[in-house]
Amino acid sequence: MDHVAVLGSGRLGSAVCGLLSGRNVPVKLWARRGETHDELRSRLPNVEISDDLAMAAAGASVVALAVPASAFEEVARAYGDIATGDQIVIHAVRGVCPGEDWLLPHTVLRRETCVRKIGVLGGPMYAPELAAGRPMGVVIASRFDEVSAAVQNLTKGTPLKAHPSHDVLGVEVAGAVSNVSALAVGMADALGLGEMARGIALTLGLSEAALLGRRLGALPDTFSGLAGVGDLIPRHVASTERHHAIGEALARGRPLAEAIGDKPCEGVDTAYLAAREAQRMGLDLQLISSVNAVCRGEMSADEALAKILKRDIDLDQAFDLHV
Amino acid sequence: MRPEDKERILTELRSRLVDHYAQAAMTGGLPLEEVVADSVYHEQRRLKASKGKGRDRKDKVFWSGVRKRLGKATDKELRTHLGNAIDRYSQEVCGNFDDRVYQMATRMLPSALGLLLNSVSPKRLITRFGDLPGIDDTVVVQGEVEHLRRLHELGTVILVPTHVSNLDSIILGYGVYRLGLPPVVYGAGLNLFSNPLMSFFMHNLGAYTVDRRKQDPVYKAVLKEYATLSLEHGYDNLFFPGGTRSRSGAVENRLKLGLVGTGIRAYINNLRRNANRPKIFVVPTTLSFQLVLEAETLVDDFLKEVGKAQYIITDDEFSRPKRVFDFLNQLLGLDSKIFMTIGRGMDPFGNVVDDDGESLDPHGRRIDTQRYVWVDGKPEESPQRDMQYTRDLGDQIAKAFMRDNVLQATHITARAALTLFRKANPRTQLLRLLRMGGVHDAVEMRALYEEVDKLLERLRSMAHQGELRLSKLVQNSDTEAVVADALMHFGIYHARRALYRRGDRIYSEDRQLLFYYHNHLEGYGLESDAGLRPALSPDRRTLGQVA
Repeated sequence: MDHVAVLGSGRLGSAVCGLLSGRNVPVKLWARRGETHDELRSRLPNVEISDDLAMAAAGASVVALAVPASAFEEVARAYGDIATGDQIVIHAVRGVCPGEDWLLPHTVLRRETCVRKIGVLGGPMYAPELAAGRPMGVVIASRFDEVSAAVQNLTKGTPLKAHPSHDVLGVEVAGAVSNVSALAVGMADALGLGEMARGIALTLGLSEAALLGRRLGALPDTFSGLAGVGDLIPRHVASTERHHAIGEALARGRPLAEAIGDKPCEGVDTAYLAAREAQRMGLDLQLISSVNAVCRGEMSADEALAKILKRDIDLDQAFDLHV
Repeated sequence: MRPEDKERILTELRSRLVDHYAQAAMTGGLPLEEVVADSVYHEQRRLKASKGKGRDRKDKVFWSGVRKRLGKATDKELRTHLGNAIDRYSQEVCGNFDDRVYQMATRMLPSALGLLLNSVSPKRLITRFGDLPGIDDTVVVQGEVEHLRRLHELGTVILVPTHVSNLDSIILGYGVYRLGLPPVVYGAGLNLFSNPLMSFFMHNLGAYTVDRRKQDPVYKAVLKEYATLSLEHGYDNLFFPGGTRSRSGAVENRLKLGLVGTGIRAYINNLRRNANRPKIFVVPTTLSFQLVLEAETLVDDFLKEVGKAQYIITDDEFSRPKRVFDFLNQLLGLDSKIFMTIGRGMDPFGNVVDDDGESLDPHGRRIDTQRYVWVDGKPEESPQRDMQYTRDLGDQIAKAFMRDNVLQATHITARAALTLFRKANPRTQLLRLLRMGGVHDAVEMRALYEEVDKLLERLRSMAHQGELRLSKLVQNSDTEAVVADALMHFGIYHARRALYRRGDRIYSEDRQLLFYYHNHLEGYGLESDAGLRPALSPDRRTLGQVA
């Protein structure tokens, strides 16, 4: 059996390594920083660890890019030097790649590599639950049936159930915008607006994700399924804790740079680029534009939440349910 | 096609398709009996509507015979019936290409097209050959010409052109000849063969017949397999990925990829049998006419059928030789140019290829394309996977069409004029404006010049960025000269003028025609400069959203 290469040794990358090596799948892990290798080796004894990306990825049948959006383009480009057309590439990025253009991760992979068999994992994923072996359902979206089949095959017999979808774009947009919603929820919580406000922000965020995604070519069903509605229900979803904390910090008046620290924040970048993209398309997306305005210091969190909570939510329209 | 190849291709076509249907029947697909019964049903239904002359009469006899024997047929007999039906279709489909006739046809074509199209017989043509206006200077073959020649040496080429007019295949056939390449194999609707002389040239420029009345899935499978096999045998093919001629005048965006997808199948089959030159190259090609022979009929059909399925036009300008003659004669008289622009070649997966025929990724790194079709390390077909690759290819073809679209004076002036008409009548819906006119039905020449000037500035910058192409005249002339050239063209051939000048104002006698030429610039986002919505939907198959 060809090996699986996991590029990135963060929480998600480590959890994926643990899951696969537990099934005796040969795994090679690329961890950029050599100083973490010993610690990783002790946690993942059956995984081959390397700081050479080419060594890890060459010859792999499946390559999992487990890096944040901020590093995605750089890692994809490096991988592009050795990528081959038969390889399956999976990612679980919940954000737009930072910069001045609206660039979803699958577009970056197409730009930087020759690979076509691209899959995105979406829906409610939470690395600690995965590491603890608790049941989890995710969406595996790919245009290629063999990609979904490969992921289902790799996770067979594990607590992780992968549900196939063909809507790569929809799953990426749903995941990216959910982090913008998490920022809004963090702000609402800091302002003491309660559980109801939280529900409204999440629902409005989902409806905006659907409106934006559909305009870009995504399917409405994606947003009413596991990658959309299903992602709102658990309180803990990958990366939301950090986004929640950043939202809280912003609402308490801390400047963005201080709130996010030295690690880039996917939700902040997504809010900025999604707001621009929506404006270009003539879409009025209140939550996204308000969160962006708060991040950029152009609006207070109070004002943003007031606008968000007043907004009409039309899920029928967002999910294209009008008869 | 060489006779020995034809024989081999037809034999292989039969065995492949019979095996395919038999295999499908054994693995839960349609039983053979139903496949044959389906063919009988579709063919008898078609024949019921026909007058039963010539080939149709023989078809009736054939299919009623199959029907009678179907009930008691054993599995072996069913395979025979199916094989016979396939043979019948494939014999009809494949042309009687004769290399000697091809040489003669192509030699005569350049200087005698006008007469050819108006002649009654090849004999008359030959006697008049030599003293007629030529189209040699009219057809400009440009773009990646050397690259195409190279790809032809390195593998098998599929030309995928935009489809503007029924004259396209003749222009393309001639262009290919002028490049010194052998004829391309292409499918052409049966209606194009109705004129005996056209039929003579079509066949001898590489055409095979496609009878669009035939709805039998087996017939469609025969067409696809014939294309696949001819590619595998090294015959360059030509497919129009737009399917039919562009009704709106816009460059095609939503492509029909069934035939284009045969490139992957041929490539996989070539790899599996270790063929010498296994590579298949897809070369987008665009055609641009200042005036289009069938413009009136096409745009009329587009507006009539907006939102509905389009039908096959069987009676248009192309079927009236006098119209064709007038068209060419007048076009040649104006020193008008027809641009055939060869684009950069791609592999069947949509990656660009270099001059060595090697596929490149977006960073210019070479790709081993064999791996795209691997299943457990070996080249294998996988219909769902291959369909996705073909979609990627379709996206790249559509982009190439836009990049290599040559804009001429008529297109730009029509765009500017209709933009002004739309702005002058902001409350009138586009469809109504085109059909009934608006409150303001004239624009000042000064305003037209200003609009054309703005457009030219934008288009020249886009051409500089490689986003589109401009004719030499448009590239080098001033605004007045561009408008004058357009008005001169609009003043000939078409029964009613898309644009004409009276005093210091400009009018349109046929706004639908104006719309048709205007649409050649659709898809570049130019309308937003003028504060208008796109005239066409994003797939350019229907009108844009009403504000």
